[in-house]
Amino acid sequence: MEMPQYDPNTKPEFELYTIPSHSSWFRWDDIHETERTALKEFFDGSSISRTPKIYKEYRDFMINKYREEPSRRLTFTQVRKSLVGDVSLLHKVFRFLDEWGLINFGAVSRGDDSDNRDSSLGDTELKNQVKIEEGAPNGVRVVALPNSLKPISVPNSGADGSGNGKVAVAGETGVKLPPLASYSDVFGDLVKLKGFKCGSCGEQCNSGCYEYSKQGSFVICEKCFKNGNYGEDKSKDDFRFSDLGGNSLTHGATWTEAETLLLLESVMRHGDNWELVAQNVPTKSKLDCISKLIELPFGEFMMGSAHEMNSCPTGSLNSLKEGQSASSENQNDVKMEDQVHDQMNESKQNGDAATEEPPAKRKRIAPLSDGGSTLIKQVAHISTMVGPHVTAAAAEAAVAALCNESSCPREIFDGDEDYLANGLSSPTMVSDPERALQVDASKMEENQSETQDASSEKNDVPLNLRIRTATATALGAAAANAKLLADQEDREIEHLVAIIIETQMKKLHSKINYFDDLELIMEKEYNEMMQLKECLVEERIDVLERALKTGVSKWRS
Amino acid sequence: MKLPATSSSKAPVKPTADNLVPIRLDIETEGQRYKDAFTWNPSDPDSEVVVFAKRTVRDLKLPPQFITQIAQSIQTQLTEFRSYEGQDMYTAEKIVPIKLDLRVNHTLIKDHFLWDLNNYESDPEEFARTFCNDMGIEDPEVGPAVAFAIREQLYEIAIQSVASAREIKISKKGRRGAEHAISSKGGGNALDLMKLFRYNSSVVRKRKEWYVYEPIVDILSNEEVDALEAREDRNTR
Repeated sequence: MEMPQYDPNTKPEFELYTIPSHSSWFRWDDIHETERTALKEFFDGSSISRTPKIYKEYRDFMINKYREEPSRRLTFTQVRKSLVGDVSLLHKVFRFLDEWGLINFGAVSRGDDSDNRDSSLGDTELKNQVKIEEGAPNGVRVVALPNSLKPISVPNSGADGSGNGKVAVAGETGVKLPPLASYSDVFGDLVKLKGFKCGSCGEQCNSGCYEYSKQGSFVICEKCFKNGNYGEDKSKDDFRFSDLGGNSLTHGATWTEAETLLLLESVMRHGDNWELVAQNVPTKSKLDCISKLIELPFGEFMMGSAHEMNSCPTGSLNSLKEGQSASSENQNDVKMEDQVHDQMNESKQNGDAATEEPPAKRKRIAPLSDGGSTLIKQVAHISTMVGPHVTAAAAEAAVAALCNESSCPREIFDGDEDYLANGLSSPTMVSDPERALQVDASKMEENQSETQDASSEKNDVPLNLRIRTATATALGAAAANAKLLADQEDREIEHLVAIIIETQMKKLHSKINYFDDLELIMEKEYNEMMQLKECLVEERIDVLERALKTGVSKWRS
Repeated sequence: MKLPATSSSKAPVKPTADNLVPIRLDIETEGQRYKDAFTWNPSDPDSEVVVFAKRTVRDLKLPPQFITQIAQSIQTQLTEFRSYEGQDMYTAEKIVPIKLDLRVNHTLIKDHFLWDLNNYESDPEEFARTFCNDMGIEDPEVGPAVAFAIREQLYEIAIQSVASAREIKISKKGRRGAEHAISSKGGGNALDLMKLFRYNSSVVRKRKEWYVYEPIVDILSNEEVDALEAREDRNTR
């Protein structure tokens, strides 16, 4: 930075500050053209509050302030308190200096610019601010009497009487954390938490617990929740399911497939009611659910369609929710497919019929052949109308679920696909799914007739088959659609290339013509020249003849 | 707010980068109270007001009586705003002090700074964004609330000066009315530029004054929030 003239014997104390090379115009004593142009307001004399002198003061102050601590990132808020003037203008100066690297050049950079701030703030940002929280943190209730419930305490819990983590509290009173409790006392136990004790029955909550969302520290086990022992004054809706993965601290950044599935189901059921959706999806907060849903390729459709359909499939979905079998999962996938497509489908009734089908099939009430063809036709019809991306996404989900099955069904699935792939070579798109439809319908009728009298277990098999063929059809239809689009693209490309080649040829032709013309012209000129030459020669001969005739003996040239 | 500078300029001149109206709602029906504050774009068609009211009621699951009340309140404030449009404003620089004293969920903010009413590039939203970033505020509702508070104050001040200008024009018709209007535009709000930006004084504040203009951000605990809310309710009733 500044080099005062020191005696060369003593080592001069330099403080070196780095600024980028494109800012080398900067001088302390002067205001450069760059500054004048960027910050015109100070230099046009429009106001008494904006003069070059004032600008220089602002600038010098900010740079000096930054250089007091070059590694620390100077924030605008830190400087604006010390400067008199319009804050917007000050911010402009600040930003100018920042962009040119005159301040904050060596500072730790903030991850993102102010536009998108993730909830995951960089550590550097946090270490500049100290957050002081008074009282016990959220979710911790301190119990004075250890006999209300046995608190889960890790052996070295020194601050007894201090609740650790989610202590189940039957009573509501809590005592404030003693002010001298150290951080590790309070939070160390939180991390080492092993298990929950139910608030109403006192047993260990092994698989999962329901947390009272209003207070955040009341926990009951699954059994009690199902039985309805919620504790006093608490209703069913207030409880939130939380898995015992110790993941109360996750921010929901990672979504496993199971969670996504749960989320989609919950949205189906509850539509816009995000509280309930968040409840049903454990470990994910409301915001996470909403943002994840939006991120999904068909998320917005879900939100719209769920809203439309929330009246209808509630009952059917509920009945399905009970089972944990893979088939029910598949059904849900197919239904979701339907729901997605429903957005584009005019006839809502078919959609209703489709969603009613799976439970009907399960109960074996409706005639199965009708149900089969309706479903498949429905799916195929929808698939043809929908763009390839949506069907691809929905099909992906279905395939993922199907992949969890044993190998045998997978082969059937592949078999169907092969058949359908063969059928793709035909030109028309609509006939494809229909043909596949018929085949599938006949196939299904075969299956149905075989297993008409089977037990409920066996019923699951044709059910799976049907569903698989349905999904395969959808995939086939989507693939056909995509292929046709691709063909179209190819043709267009060919056409365009042909046009290009033609134009080039024309260009060349015209060039050749041009050169031909030139040649012609040149030839003509050449001929003219020759003629001129001959004329000249003739004249000369004439002159010579005459000269000879008149008897000029001596030749004077 | 849209306040054209002089009759010659065609483009609408705004005291802030965006032309937004601060709207405050405080409706109570059947024992339920709905309080909200946000900014509205006055160039949106009025039909949007009803749509917005319906959507809000649905999202917050309020009883349907709120729809008409919300829509009415918004409309009234919008028309009031529009009645101030088209007033001639003297475009001299006008620096006013803005004080922030608001509570958003668990965050308490107190701040004090200067704002130029006639700086048309000024942007409350940007200020709020910078503020939240610098102070590391994670609650996403704080930014808009800060921007709204700033806009509201600017709006108030602008209204005041328009109203006072009107009065002056009426009272001092033809008698050097314009000059008086200009001189009293300073009013009680704007700071005297002459005093602040004197030639031989520095624009850097004295250190002991820094704390006055420094922002204070407090994170409150649940009990404090409840206590404050109770007190606010008592005050407003």
